[in-house]
Amino acid sequence: MGIRERIIAILVNNKPGVLSRVAGVFGRLGYNIESLCVAETISPEISRITSITNADSDFIDKVKKQLTRLVDVLDVTELFPGQSAQREMILIGINLDQEGRAEIVRSIGMFDCKIISMRNDYCIIQVAGSREEVETVINFLKPLGIDKIARTGVLALRYKDSGF
Amino acid sequence: MEKTGAEILLQTLREEGVDVIFGYPGANSLPIHDKLEESPIRHYLVRHEQAAAHAADGYARATGRVGVCLGTSGPGATNLVTGIATAYMDSTPMIVLTGQVTTDLLGSDAFQETDIIGITMPITKHSYLVSDPGEVKSTVKQAFEIARSGRPGPVLIDLPRNVMAAKYEQSGNEDVTVSVPQKRHVERKKDAEDLQRIANYMNMSERPVILVGGGVKLARACDELSGLIEKGSIPFVSTMMGIGSVRSSNGFNLGFIGTHGNELANRIVHDADFIMTIGARFSDRSTSIVKEFAPLATIAQIDIDPSSIGKVIKADIPLVCDIREAITKLTPLVERKERREWLSRIEKERNILGKDRSMKECGPAGAFIRDVQAAMPEETTAITDVGLNQIWTVRSWETKTPRGMITPGGLGTMGFSLPAAMGVKVGVPDRGVVVFSGDGGFFMNIQELATISYYNLPVKVVVFNNGHLGMIRQIQDLFYGSRFNDIELGNKVDIVAVAKGFGIDADRISVEDPGAGIEKMCAAAGPFLLEVIVNPDNYVYPIIPPGRSNIDMIGGRQG
Repeated sequence: MGIRERIIAILVNNKPGVLSRVAGVFGRLGYNIESLCVAETISPEISRITSITNADSDFIDKVKKQLTRLVDVLDVTELFPGQSAQREMILIGINLDQEGRAEIVRSIGMFDCKIISMRNDYCIIQVAGSREEVETVINFLKPLGIDKIARTGVLALRYKDSGF
Repeated sequence: MEKTGAEILLQTLREEGVDVIFGYPGANSLPIHDKLEESPIRHYLVRHEQAAAHAADGYARATGRVGVCLGTSGPGATNLVTGIATAYMDSTPMIVLTGQVTTDLLGSDAFQETDIIGITMPITKHSYLVSDPGEVKSTVKQAFEIARSGRPGPVLIDLPRNVMAAKYEQSGNEDVTVSVPQKRHVERKKDAEDLQRIANYMNMSERPVILVGGGVKLARACDELSGLIEKGSIPFVSTMMGIGSVRSSNGFNLGFIGTHGNELANRIVHDADFIMTIGARFSDRSTSIVKEFAPLATIAQIDIDPSSIGKVIKADIPLVCDIREAITKLTPLVERKERREWLSRIEKERNILGKDRSMKECGPAGAFIRDVQAAMPEETTAITDVGLNQIWTVRSWETKTPRGMITPGGLGTMGFSLPAAMGVKVGVPDRGVVVFSGDGGFFMNIQELATISYYNLPVKVVVFNNGHLGMIRQIQDLFYGSRFNDIELGNKVDIVAVAKGFGIDADRISVEDPGAGIEKMCAAAGPFLLEVIVNPDNYVYPIIPPGRSNIDMIGGRQG
């Protein structure tokens, strides 16, 4: 019953305006979308939306029913941590001085990350992993002066899933 | 053969059985109006787009067919919004056509451009922007299927001017197949078990009640429901939208529940040990405070719309199913019973509350409505506005057929009755049509007297004039220390003269002394307006205060 992070996977027709209808349902029910990821599936006419909301279990029932009313929504499923693979990717921009530069190059091997771009005073690092893994990297890099972060939000797939 | 988008639109509307459109043209809907003349579809020109939407709604409620309205882009479309929301709340199947600026101008803040799809997203079942004349036919077919299927509702189709004007080569008799995916949350095999459980409860319980919602009419399951009620001797109550599903005079009818409902209905629901809810969504007006609603009852809820189930009240036995199908399958499972004990207890309660009490509770206005009904043809449809007039009517009018009374219950739209009545009269010209409005709601769409007059629609319009917003006055009187702020409409307008100015014959009478007024109205061949002067203290009782339970009525039986 308690409030926790809820991951919902929504399959929708890949058409203009559909995302706005889906997002509208969350808003009308008074829930905030913490993260959202949308892209086409193996079938180009269908998109997969993966969203995270902090909510109680009532939310799942309500949002599922309201989403299913939408003509362009094909399926709504809650994904649970033990039953699904979950990954997130982050790009982190960091302002560098000489020391920081050396520190990053030294420590980056400890984590599963990549330096995407490196200039004299700025670098961009890519991190991919579970929620905990990317949070660890963020916390480690914070003292070095993070300038900006772009996150995909969590992507999730059930271990055994058929269809799209 | 090459056809314009507009021609394909009108041809597809015909194929879907459309014979009437209520509309108002503008620059961006002109390609449609240009071809409408050649189509057998009749167009009724209203005086404000809101009225077009209400008329289409009234037409749909009276006929059971899909209502169609048409407005231009921008203000034409935004004026439709209140009518669309009204239809959405009461699940009326409706197609809303809106003109739109040409596709190259979309999003440029062009003259008379609004994002009507964005504006109406929360109040439509679905909507389409048609960007190619080749899509017109399949879009319209799909829109009708969506509007009609499941829990019905309005669907909007936005039609850019250039798409309607563009020519398209139709490949002869192309067959457009439309599929709206049927999404079900409950597996079919479980349905049979649930129906058996509901039947078991019905057979075993000592104090069962059926709660009838508007969904029964929408599913055309009224006869089936009457059969079930008679077979099991099951008393029933209605929501306001459910009134008329079963003849009001049926002996098992206890009235309607909720804030302004019948005391008997509210009390019996409170005592019931089993409630089978069918096609009702437990709106706040029906339940009052939820945790004290039917505290002793096991609740079964049958509805076509999964989102209506468990939204407000957690049903012990939920069943997502077509209502007619459910009742048809349920009836053989329900035992024929007499239920002497339960029915005699109800009868006792009915006698305590007083058999003719509902007339007294509505004061002289209630008696007047009964007099009007007695003078009108047997086959008459009453259309209410919102406020005291609405409650007086739903409590006093004896509804004999499922579509015999029409009221905007969900949204509570003042100004609904006059334009809706036009749609009703156009849809069912052989039935008598009488409007019961207050002066407040009447003024909101008074311009439609011009439409009624122009088309000579023989609609009888009763305007209860108490010079105030009566129901708001009652609420202020009871719950705001009788501080009557901002509700006096006054009596400086000569409504009879105004009606006559519109070309409609009219008369003014007092509610206590109607004299020959009612006869005169009923005898008139064309439209007629009867202004009925009512005392602003003619309230409705009992009434449930905000935050109280359904048996906690002001003006109800004590104890």
